[in-house]
Amino acid sequence: MNLIQSALAGIALACACAMATAKPIAFSHGTTVMAEYGAGTMTEAQVFYAPKYFLSLGGGYLQLESDIDHRRREITYARLNYLVKRWNMEAAQANVFAWGGAGQAYVSETNTHEFAWNAGAQVDYETRRVYASLRTDLHHSNAFEHRIDTLQLGLAPYEHDFDSLATWFVVQGRQINGGIHDGTEWSLLLRLFKRGAWIEAGATTDGKLQAMFMANF
Amino acid sequence: MKKTILVLAALLATPTFADTIEMKVYGLVCGFCAQGIDKTLRKNPATADVLVSLEHQLVAVTTREGQDIPDVELTRALTDSGYDVKGITRTQRSLAEIRGSIKEAKR
Repeated sequence: MNLIQSALAGIALACACAMATAKPIAFSHGTTVMAEYGAGTMTEAQVFYAPKYFLSLGGGYLQLESDIDHRRREITYARLNYLVKRWNMEAAQANVFAWGGAGQAYVSETNTHEFAWNAGAQVDYETRRVYASLRTDLHHSNAFEHRIDTLQLGLAPYEHDFDSLATWFVVQGRQINGGIHDGTEWSLLLRLFKRGAWIEAGATTDGKLQAMFMANF
Repeated sequence: MKKTILVLAALLATPTFADTIEMKVYGLVCGFCAQGIDKTLRKNPATADVLVSLEHQLVAVTTREGQDIPDVELTRALTDSGYDVKGITRTQRSLAEIRGSIKEAKR
């Protein structure tokens, strides 16, 4: 069973109860700044502005470094995020996001810069106690193709409110194909957020740091 | 006659709206949702204060003295923020009273 299949099973399980997940669009007229360090194989920074609640525009920088043969990609891109569908329930919310963009990528094996495009999607479901999200991100150029699949399942020990600190325990599974990492990288994370600030940190099963920071304003 | 006119004028001058507007909103699950709604509603010049309770799926707005925000405008603000308004009621409860009853309900 690959990560996507595991994820769908996980989301189905989570739906029985319900997410506080990073979304590419936070709110209308809001700016989102994100930075992630992913266990040495992936580092990403993004900035998006949302003119509408269903649309955001911006750009990012992604560095992928293989823990197999040390090949490296440095991808700089412009991207458009779109909220395809939202379900607002009494005490839950579910979303489907899609995005696409283009930019330039540095390829270490050939020491060249290539045109690169990217596309992806995210499905998420959350309440104030449980959440699940599945995200897939494809980066393609003539020199490479990498797909990053990320599954997150989160559990909050208590229900937070607007002015209180939200605490989440998150299990993350990630696969990065195309010679970057073999197998699924599992992490356990502690996520804290209050109002517009979000920080999470934890470790992979190999003891490597996995961390993320996000701010919405 | 003069007295009657003054009383009538005073009655007509009394605002027909309440000071607090309470909205039942679906989809409120995280602080970011609340932040977006709070930011949007505070942009309205008639808004005095805003309260968002995720627990009660409640968004409450107090308006400045002598001002009101029509239901259609509130619904549009919430819908444009990505949420669903399920009901709007106008009350005389202040935001402090609402905060108090939310605290009380938690005990």
